[in-house]
Amino acid sequence: MSNSTLDSNKQAKYWLQRIHELDLQQPVRIMNVCGGHERAITMAGLRSALPKAVELIPGPGCPVCICPEEDIYEAIQISLQENVILVAFGDMLRVPVNVHHGEVRTLDQAKGAGADIRPIASPQEAIDIARQHPQTTVVFFAAGFETTMAPVAAMIAQGAPDNLCLLLSGRLTWPAVAMLLESGSPGFDCLVAPGHVATVMGAEEWTFVVKQYSLPTAVAGFYSESLLAAFYSVLRQKIEQRLFLDNCYPELVQQQGNPSARKQLQQVFNIIDANWRGIGTIPASGYALNDQYAAHDARQRYPDYRDMARKRAGQMPPGCDCAKVVLGKIYPDQCRLYGKACTPRNPVGPCMVSDEGACRIWWAGGVRQSRSKIA
Amino acid sequence: MCLGIPMQVKTIEDYSARCEAKGIERDVSLFMLQHEDIQAGDFVVVHVGYAIQKVTPQEARTAWEIYDEMLAREAGNA
Repeated sequence: MSNSTLDSNKQAKYWLQRIHELDLQQPVRIMNVCGGHERAITMAGLRSALPKAVELIPGPGCPVCICPEEDIYEAIQISLQENVILVAFGDMLRVPVNVHHGEVRTLDQAKGAGADIRPIASPQEAIDIARQHPQTTVVFFAAGFETTMAPVAAMIAQGAPDNLCLLLSGRLTWPAVAMLLESGSPGFDCLVAPGHVATVMGAEEWTFVVKQYSLPTAVAGFYSESLLAAFYSVLRQKIEQRLFLDNCYPELVQQQGNPSARKQLQQVFNIIDANWRGIGTIPASGYALNDQYAAHDARQRYPDYRDMARKRAGQMPPGCDCAKVVLGKIYPDQCRLYGKACTPRNPVGPCMVSDEGACRIWWAGGVRQSRSKIA
Repeated sequence: MCLGIPMQVKTIEDYSARCEAKGIERDVSLFMLQHEDIQAGDFVVVHVGYAIQKVTPQEARTAWEIYDEMLAREAGNA
């Protein structure tokens, strides 16, 4: 083990000890809104290391999980019926839509039925494929939060080939948290804000949680010591009722975030009201290409599919509790389908498909039987 | 999906950098770091092929060691 890992383990132990020294008289629920955080928490076993009074709740932190069914249906139909190459981040290919038996349920199945569908790991691959096939329209089905939509904006701002268009399902993270807080029963007492979203957008985006809703908030990175420092910060803030926005990931998160990325996001996208799978419309929570880049908008190029898809708005597979999992109303293993009808091999809902989905992460972390309950 | 991987910049041509981590090389866009002075030898955190932030060599090393530990644990649970 090297010195830096030793330091890191030492720091994690330090924060853990300080957390155990806190006078926690009541249960405290800390929500995270990042699949990367949930993965780090689960894989490091942080839940069992914390005092019993502390609950760690995974919230809306997976862009694949909240991508509306109608958008996936639209992507499937375009890929099947138009002469296009459809590219998407790999996770999206396995998310099922709820259709009649025998119909195509996923982009993977569409590929099996003859559609030209290619998984990509970077927007740059979409550019390469478009350049290699100048006579064919390449549709990039792009889901993601701010961290991922910034590179998509950069790709367009830098100049994309004419035959590349975007089918956008990009979302902003903070409006979902605002919606939960506005609901009157948010289900959490403290917030750990996402480190890489804040790297791009700046930590300041989360000030509203502290100022308007009086909840302790800290931005965290993806290692145990950063997460534990953030847990300690919010718990201490709560106990002492001294609230502020803490930055426990200063090595990456700077004042105002990444200025170039923010400029490119602003240049390329408008912010629109957007639907979240199983949740409904959240005001000012989605990205759409602005008029200057309308030529790259798949929805303008293939408008017929939008109406067809819109009829499916709000649909979820029967029995699927992904929406409750995403909103932190239940833990993954409280879903009736978890580990029974729904496994990573045969997923029913997106939370079991995506590497960022809480169900998939808990399964990978070895949770096999239901034992949890949110207080 | 918001995972960021630290990589070391080997060569730069316009906004494209050849970057390396763990012996694996990739082309990485520096278009989102136009406000930074990036040189060969620097470390950047890369998300879906785009550098989103510059980091110190120490931070990059620590991040990799922790990711390695996490991946090893995950492989044990799979």
